Amino acid sequence: MNPSFWSAFRSEWIKFKSVRSTIIGLITFVVLTIGIGILVTLGIRGHINDHGGEARLSFDATSTSLVGIFLAQFAVGTIGIIMMTAEYATGSIRTTLSAVPNRTRLVVAKAAVLVAALFVLCEVTCFAAFFIGQSIYHGAGLATTLSAPGVLRAVSLAGVYLTLLGILGFGLGLIIRATAASIIAYATVLLILPIIVNFLPSAWQTHLTKFFPGELGRDMFTPSAIANDFSPTTAALMLLGYAAGLVTIGTVLLRRRDA
Amino acid sequence: MIKIDHVSKQYGDTLAVNDLNFEVSPGVVTGFLGPNGSGKSTTMRIIMGLDQATKGSATINGQRYRDLKAPLREVGALLDAKAVNPNRSARNHLRALAASNNISTKRVDEVLEFTGIASVASKKVGGYSLGMSQRLGIAAALLGDPPVLLFDEPVNGLDPEGIRWIRDFFRSLAKEGRTVFVSSHLMSEMAVSADQIVVIGRGHFITQGSVDDLTRTAQGSVLVRSASPDVLKTALSQATEIETLNDGALNVTGLSAEAIGTIALSAGIALSELTPQRASLEEVFMELTADSLDYGSHSKGDSK
Repeated sequence: MNPSFWSAFRSEWIKFKSVRSTIIGLITFVVLTIGIGILVTLGIRGHINDHGGEARLSFDATSTSLVGIFLAQFAVGTIGIIMMTAEYATGSIRTTLSAVPNRTRLVVAKAAVLVAALFVLCEVTCFAAFFIGQSIYHGAGLATTLSAPGVLRAVSLAGVYLTLLGILGFGLGLIIRATAASIIAYATVLLILPIIVNFLPSAWQTHLTKFFPGELGRDMFTPSAIANDFSPTTAALMLLGYAAGLVTIGTVLLRRRDA
Repeated sequence: MIKIDHVSKQYGDTLAVNDLNFEVSPGVVTGFLGPNGSGKSTTMRIIMGLDQATKGSATINGQRYRDLKAPLREVGALLDAKAVNPNRSARNHLRALAASNNISTKRVDEVLEFTGIASVASKKVGGYSLGMSQRLGIAAALLGDPPVLLFDEPVNGLDPEGIRWIRDFFRSLAKEGRTVFVSSHLMSEMAVSADQIVVIGRGHFITQGSVDDLTRTAQGSVLVRSASPDVLKTALSQATEIETLNDGALNVTGLSAEAIGTIALSAGIALSELTPQRASLEEVFMELTADSLDYGSHSKGDSK
């Protein structure tokens, strides 16, 4: 029987789970995301009354319980980046391409493994962080539920946001090939660009900021619409577009470059 | 069979391989010989579809590597033994490779047994010695039981016992009718382990033939000793070159021992020694590649 896409997928799956540092990294990501959620929600519960009634009115129990995402996004990005750059760092890309010479198939198989692993893990983590956060808020009368408007969507899309960032990192790794440079590029997009834009005239800011991946993420995991921003669905599709665009560019480069 | 069809490869300004054209036949061990940097690894990478030839093509049984349906079952290769993720165990590395080409996990255990690394197969590859990594690379190459095998400098890092093992192993692969293509920069190694040899230098094809052919066609010389070397030297005017050694002996090129003996007899010179010097493969190699060095230095401009 000739190898198919699924043969390449199985191969990449074995590779993904057989490096212990990947597994440790994933566990750390889960623990940190949930842990930060617990700390932040506990802090908010203790101090919400300092800000008076208005603070309670505008309070968003969902996104504050998901605040660990701000750290988690670097973990998933790095996992995506390393999935590709480790092949170049160790030279194993040549072995990999000898086994799967169809380079497009290889990229799709790797991306599929990444999506499968990250999507499940990120959804579980985000829902866990949400429920733990709400149980902490519960005593203070701050808690919300999944049936409140937009909440189920926001928590689900939080996992989608992290998964897409993993693919975004994977695309950067595919293009740049070096781990450190890829991580710098990733951090630049998520952290540095928004800071730079802060120094621009505010009219420009409103036009530019909403296009950044981080801002698209806020649109996705906030239950109520954010003024001047995209709708959650549009934001998710745009981020998918960014990730798919980078992976496509990376695939074209991989097909053309010498390994 | 591997066919290298007028392959050239340019990296920026450097012409790494220039119009290489040869075939590697099944059933024999073919050595791929050239000094370091002569383009051996580049040629191997082009055969494997890792690098793209600037001109020409390399095919395996008529197909380009990229078009092979189940590549590991058609070609096994050991290009760089250390090109493995050091954090993965040997068994998982081979399992992943096996899965990609629908090869059974049973086969993974077989090749681990065969190469003698089964006992350390669960350990991370990062802790392996170069010799163990070579064995893992050989295990990976054998995974799909392929009819064509490529090895780039396989004896590097092996102990003497390992080197002998690998020589016998290449022979047995060839005896089974497989195509075995082994690169090396060590002529002495190729002299004992290969049947056929392809010699390249500075990316150029130099020659191809059996080890015997290559040493036979090389200019052999004859060592002659007599009481009156000067008289003998005059008598041997037909020789292409006569070198006078420190102890008065002559190293004569261009005449057979028989011819020298006859000339000496008719000139009335008594000979105390008459010994044909057979060129070693190493000398042949030096002679061949020395020419290519001059040739090579002009080639960059020629190729454009």
